[in-house]
Amino acid sequence: MQLGPVTRAVLGVVTTVTLALIYLPLFVVLLNSFSTSESLSWPPPGFTLEWWGRALHSTGALEALGTSVVVALAASTVALVLGTLAAMALSRYEFFGKEAVNLLIVLPIALPGIVTGIALNNAFRTMMGVQLSIWTLIIAHATFCIVTVYNNAFARLSASGTRLEDASMDLGAGLFTTFRLVTFPRLKSALVAGGLLAFALSFDEIIVTTFTAGNGVTTLPLWILQNMFRPSQAPVVAVIAVILVVVSVVPIAIAQRLTAKDAATVSR
Amino acid sequence: MPTAIRLRGLHKRFGETVAVADLDLDIEAGEFFSMLGPSGSGKTTVLRAIAGFEQPTSGTVELFGKDVTSLPPFERPVNTVFQDYALFPHMSVIANVEYGLRVAGTPRNARRARAEEALAAVQLAGLEDRQPHELSGGQRQRVALARAIVLRPDALLLDEPLGALDLKLREQMQVELKQLQRSLGITFVFVTHDQDEALTLSDRVAVFDAGRVVQLGTPREVYDRPANSFVASFVGSSTLLEPPVAKAFGLADHLMAVRPERVSLGAPDGVPGTIAEVIYTGPEHRIVIDLDGLDTRITALEPNIGANAERTRGDRVTVSIDPADATSLEATASS
Repeated sequence: MQLGPVTRAVLGVVTTVTLALIYLPLFVVLLNSFSTSESLSWPPPGFTLEWWGRALHSTGALEALGTSVVVALAASTVALVLGTLAAMALSRYEFFGKEAVNLLIVLPIALPGIVTGIALNNAFRTMMGVQLSIWTLIIAHATFCIVTVYNNAFARLSASGTRLEDASMDLGAGLFTTFRLVTFPRLKSALVAGGLLAFALSFDEIIVTTFTAGNGVTTLPLWILQNMFRPSQAPVVAVIAVILVVVSVVPIAIAQRLTAKDAATVSR
Repeated sequence: MPTAIRLRGLHKRFGETVAVADLDLDIEAGEFFSMLGPSGSGKTTVLRAIAGFEQPTSGTVELFGKDVTSLPPFERPVNTVFQDYALFPHMSVIANVEYGLRVAGTPRNARRARAEEALAAVQLAGLEDRQPHELSGGQRQRVALARAIVLRPDALLLDEPLGALDLKLREQMQVELKQLQRSLGITFVFVTHDQDEALTLSDRVAVFDAGRVVQLGTPREVYDRPANSFVASFVGSSTLLEPPVAKAFGLADHLMAVRPERVSLGAPDGVPGTIAEVIYTGPEHRIVIDLDGLDTRITALEPNIGANAERTRGDRVTVSIDPADATSLEATASS
């Protein structure tokens, strides 16, 4: 489709403005982490590595980073196991209520975080009588982490069909052996992609976290929120924000590359 | 000969569709048995029921006297060559062929030797370390064969294994399949929609139509004595002769079928007609004749030699059929 010069100019400007609106503020955060001004005054009066040094020695920030990593790893692991099992069941077997189960598995990613948070908070504390802790937080995160694993695994299983599994069983391999030798190797990259997305989702989640983390359990986003308006902490918060962006974006980028590369080989 | 595969009352429904209707079938040990039919006629469903991929709605599957109806595929002593080969794309050729032995727990050295033997049997020695995607269609076909025969199954099931190959290769593979079956001495159950293939390879053929076996017999029986008009037109080509036409040729007064190569031209007492088309096919030509006063056309197949080669559109000819060469379809015309 050929576009006229005016259309092209207008679309170019709109695209530039939109992208600038999204990415300039992020860039400013990055700049501020090097700014000599404690109050983030604009433009930065000078540049320094002091805040990066301080952030790397801040026990609160480091502990929050550790908590976030532990929670994200644990939630992703739970999601990997349950998501794979669910995808196997829904892609390979027919049973009553299959469509409903499919919807119920995918729904948590669409539910408003505040509703999920309040509901889980209520269920944990009043219905089950469980103290909020890092465990309740991990379970809460797993509810929406399952979705990315499940979606990736389900898409791959549906695309590859059952012919290789049929062949494997025809050659004498039972269900588990077939999964281990045929299904899993074909599924691996989809699971890595799904797991990385789950990790990224959990790592920067704050709404559900607010309602389900126990006392003293502080994830990185919670730490930022708590320290953002403290005097003289602003530049350190900027440093942590930059780290949060990197840790969230890198897995997603890897996951995307994995999925793209595999789409080519799966159909072969 | 003992019965290798015995199906009794095999019935398979998919929702409202009946794929296989109350099928009884006995396949003898050591025979090359073909299931021939158009797509959707139920032949692949029967094969999948024998392999264990489809659970029949009712009926039983017996393999060598043992009821295996409720056994999963991995507990049945048969192996399958799949239509699209279904090679494991993440394994090398040798790993594909070794797979069945590996899951059965055969020691590494023994399985390597047997896999190499199987590859040699399908003339693929030397390609052990290739990946499936580096092979041609014909080579993949052979790997699939090797992978299935390496387990020395009691019966080999082949689901349109040559369907994806080009003509030359297909003819070559047909010869090799026949030789392989003879040297292994095991039962081959071969599903195909290609009548040439079924006639060339088989000891016996079952012709499928709409979930039923409409004829079961040797290739010669099926070709020379088609049981009904479906078989007459699906296996080879036939001209169906309505009762008045059959009568004009001095045959019985009901529906008959005749093969084009059994229709002769030029006999003085034949039925007169005009040549409507001459279709040249190289070694022979196909001649379509409008029969005088019968409002029907008949096809004759003649070798392209001597005076035959001179025939042209519009020529007047006489047509005759030896009664022994026409098949009566009376009994089955209504079914």
